[in-house]
Amino acid sequence: MAESVENLPPSISLADESVPGRQLDSLPTTKVARAARFAKSGLKVGANYVKHYARRSVGATSSEADLHAANAAELYSTLSEMKGSVLKVAQMLALEKKFLPPAYADQFAQAQYQTPPISAPLIIKTFRDAFGKSPFELFAEFDVNARQAASIGQVHYALSRDDKRPLAVKVQYPGVADSIRSDIRLVKPIALRVMGLDEAQVRPYLEEVETRLLEETDYKLELRRGSEIAASCAQLPHLEFARYYPELSSARILTMDWLLGEHLKEFLRTEPSQEIRNQLGQALWDFYMYQLNTLLKVHADPHPGNFLLRADNGGTVGVLDFGCVKEIPADVHRLFNALLAPETLADEARLAALLDETGILRSTDTLERRALYVRTLHASLELVGRPFRETTFNFGDPAYMASLYALGDDLMQEPELRQQREPRGSEHFIYLNRTYVGLYALLTELGAHIRTQ
Amino acid sequence: MENTEKERIKQGYLTYVLDKNRPPASVFKLTKRLNIPEETFYRYYPNFEAVDRELWADFGRQAREKAALEPVWQEYGAREKLLAFYYTLLEILKQNRSYALMALRRSMPNVPGITPRVLDDFRSEFIMFIESLLRDGRRTEEIAPRRFVQDSYPRLFWTQALFVLTFLAKDESLNFERTDAAVEKAVTLSFDLVGRNSFDSALDLTRFLLHKRR
Repeated sequence: MAESVENLPPSISLADESVPGRQLDSLPTTKVARAARFAKSGLKVGANYVKHYARRSVGATSSEADLHAANAAELYSTLSEMKGSVLKVAQMLALEKKFLPPAYADQFAQAQYQTPPISAPLIIKTFRDAFGKSPFELFAEFDVNARQAASIGQVHYALSRDDKRPLAVKVQYPGVADSIRSDIRLVKPIALRVMGLDEAQVRPYLEEVETRLLEETDYKLELRRGSEIAASCAQLPHLEFARYYPELSSARILTMDWLLGEHLKEFLRTEPSQEIRNQLGQALWDFYMYQLNTLLKVHADPHPGNFLLRADNGGTVGVLDFGCVKEIPADVHRLFNALLAPETLADEARLAALLDETGILRSTDTLERRALYVRTLHASLELVGRPFRETTFNFGDPAYMASLYALGDDLMQEPELRQQREPRGSEHFIYLNRTYVGLYALLTELGAHIRTQ
Repeated sequence: MENTEKERIKQGYLTYVLDKNRPPASVFKLTKRLNIPEETFYRYYPNFEAVDRELWADFGRQAREKAALEPVWQEYGAREKLLAFYYTLLEILKQNRSYALMALRRSMPNVPGITPRVLDDFRSEFIMFIESLLRDGRRTEEIAPRRFVQDSYPRLFWTQALFVLTFLAKDESLNFERTDAAVEKAVTLSFDLVGRNSFDSALDLTRFLLHKRR
């Protein structure tokens, strides 16, 4: 192992240095500049493969994992330099771990915590543009050094003028909204090819994703949706929502209460008891089920960076970032739940009928293809729906998440499915799937044993 | 009295240009409009170009003064001070958007790097500002001391200022957000170049090798 670490190309250490972020204030904004960035990374990744095969051909040991790690570091440093929407796409892909080898996923998971800051004068200018005042006039105290990076902005710590209450102030990078469309156009052909993803496979994602991403740049919308969901979920126990301050917010600045707590990984390092983890998991589960089934509107970005966990009161979850909210049309909700229902699994004809309705099966499909789809979806639904068929479920069982990922791998191996060129099914399922995958991943990491009915 | 009279002429000229989209046809036309004798104008300015130059110099001066009022100004390093200057300047230019864009579009030469006459006074004050920033920067070691080379820094930073203004004149994004990003990027690059970097290490090694040989 030690030897293989030494063997890694120098790019790895370079990428690591760039993570805490000094000079990445340079946001390449022109399309040409961004394309150049991608091309460079594509070349580097190519070079890593060359090294890999060259080394293998002379009999040296260079494991696949080394190669993935080298490539992932390269891609990560490129993507984090580009910030904004590309980073967002990277985060999404990190959640869809089944698309990515673990090394990529780990590097991209970092993107959720670390991006380099923009300069203090630009922060002040953003405030002047929005309010005609500097942050020092608006707040009793304002720290110009960002405390955290959000994917399309950064978070500052401030104290309110009246009662010195701690506030989180999210400031959006300039020009993000402007460049998202062209970013996606660039991501599609190059980045996805570099990552070995089939374009047709992600096309339906990208269209929905584009809409969601553009919504995410509108902090006024986030403020409205965040306040609405927080108000509707106020009666759910062990949850905490930040209050928003409309008078201190604009399209590019969002001011809310500063919530206490730690992100999942750090929190788990404090070795919380099983009871606390169960209560946190239960709070998350209740929160999501209420949104999915009652509000028909869901915080569709359940990655670990969006939750702050505390041990208070036996476990409290702080919910951050309502930038990505998926509204679920009533018929989509009905279909999705019907697919997860235990009766559907037992009755193949019923399953096929539902798949017809969602557009996953088509009247033009051959009998064999129909059978294949019904078989694969039966397998997926059996797994994904398992928590719903029991009264309590132990997400701490590592075998469960492993079989979820294994299922994804198997699906990718199926030649018939791989060759499938056109996307199928409702595009609304994209964010619903993502919500479930994200929620299940959180609950598995927590190892929570919860009541599911 | 003298100051307010001069100010009145300057504002009168600005309003005229904004109204008509061009400078007055003659000094007489302007002074008639302002209801003052023509000679009053000549007491302060030889021609309209001089007024333009002074308007731009005012923008620069206001930007420096206003940026320095920010409470964090004292904590800023040279890089942040220059950034703050640019963002404040952009804010001021935005308030005078029509005039600034018209003047820039009319006078910016097609060849990059050539200073249009209208920016002459703005330039000389900018250079003084940059020189003081560079002095501070060398003291805080933000800027690597390099004999001979460093004499051309002020000129390089002026080229950067021209780049920013040209970018602004062509920027079509909402609220000039792309100009903000361009400023951030250009200033960071320039300070990466003048800060201690691989160039200095290479020079150091070369010196060492030459020295050893002797």
